[in-house]
Amino acid sequence: MSQPIASDFLEALRDSAPVMFGYIPLGMAFGVLFQSLGYHWLFAPLAGVVIYAGSAQFMAVGLLAAGVSYTEAFVATLVLNSRHIFYGLSVLSRYPKHGLSRWYLIFGLTDETYSLITAKPPESSGTTRYFVYLTGLNQSYWVLGCALGASLQSFFAFDSAGFEFALVALFLVLLIEQVRSMSERWLLAVALCASGLAYVLVPNQFLLVAIGLCLATLMVRVRGGGVHG
Amino acid sequence: MDNSYLLGIFTVMGIATFITRALPFVALAKVKNHSVLDQFGRLLPPMIMVVLVCFGLVSLEVESIDRGGLSALSFVVVILLHAYFRNPLLSILVGTGVYVIGIQGFGL
Repeated sequence: MSQPIASDFLEALRDSAPVMFGYIPLGMAFGVLFQSLGYHWLFAPLAGVVIYAGSAQFMAVGLLAAGVSYTEAFVATLVLNSRHIFYGLSVLSRYPKHGLSRWYLIFGLTDETYSLITAKPPESSGTTRYFVYLTGLNQSYWVLGCALGASLQSFFAFDSAGFEFALVALFLVLLIEQVRSMSERWLLAVALCASGLAYVLVPNQFLLVAIGLCLATLMVRVRGGGVHG
Repeated sequence: MDNSYLLGIFTVMGIATFITRALPFVALAKVKNHSVLDQFGRLLPPMIMVVLVCFGLVSLEVESIDRGGLSALSFVVVILLHAYFRNPLLSILVGTGVYVIGIQGFGL
């Protein structure tokens, strides 16, 4: 509303650039892996369009190879992606209440999109149009990566070893940004302990358990501690 | 190749993924207590970011001491660059560049 369309788009393009450096190599890795199944390469970008979840798509390659039932694929995906349930909690108030854009934004709420959206201070929180551009750009990087990996796999060997660090760096940068404006930093130590505990106890459900522990602590804090800051 | 089986799997996985993302929006649509939700919205993201950084670090395949050192070096490069310049793209590109060069150029 306050900004012209072009500046919303440019802002989304600038903010999403780091995700591009993570998604294209990662999407390519998926595309290359997907080609090992022997399907037409166009199905790889299609997975990016209809599923749009990195870890779930990598799992899909294994499920397809094993020939699992639809029910098994459904349940396995629910379990794998269950951490997303916690993400909605933090963006609930920022997202539009109605309309197609609301459902697209929910559909496209990946780890990285979530990180970028919550990194915006709530008071300068972007317009719905900005969120849609940001989510759409991120998904297009991902779909492009899937398409490149699957289509070019046989033509050239792109060595993407090491590019996985881009996503670590992105999360780290966003963490630094969020820490600057955080009032209760002891919660970060809680999150670090939760991660350590989850890694030692249930490494194959790391994200779900670590985020669950964080949420449990936060519930106690929010209910018991009243409203500060 | 059975394309209809592939499309079926894609469809159920797409639906399952959407359900996990949409659940809080549907389940909490009626919640009136916005101060509690606002606190979650404010305090939860930095905590999740700590978890995601840890997740990223443990996902890097640290199979040697050299590789561990390279990860640590790249990590510190990102922090220092971001502390001084506060330019996300610069911090991420240079940090990733150090890591990629270490692996591909020096075989760490």
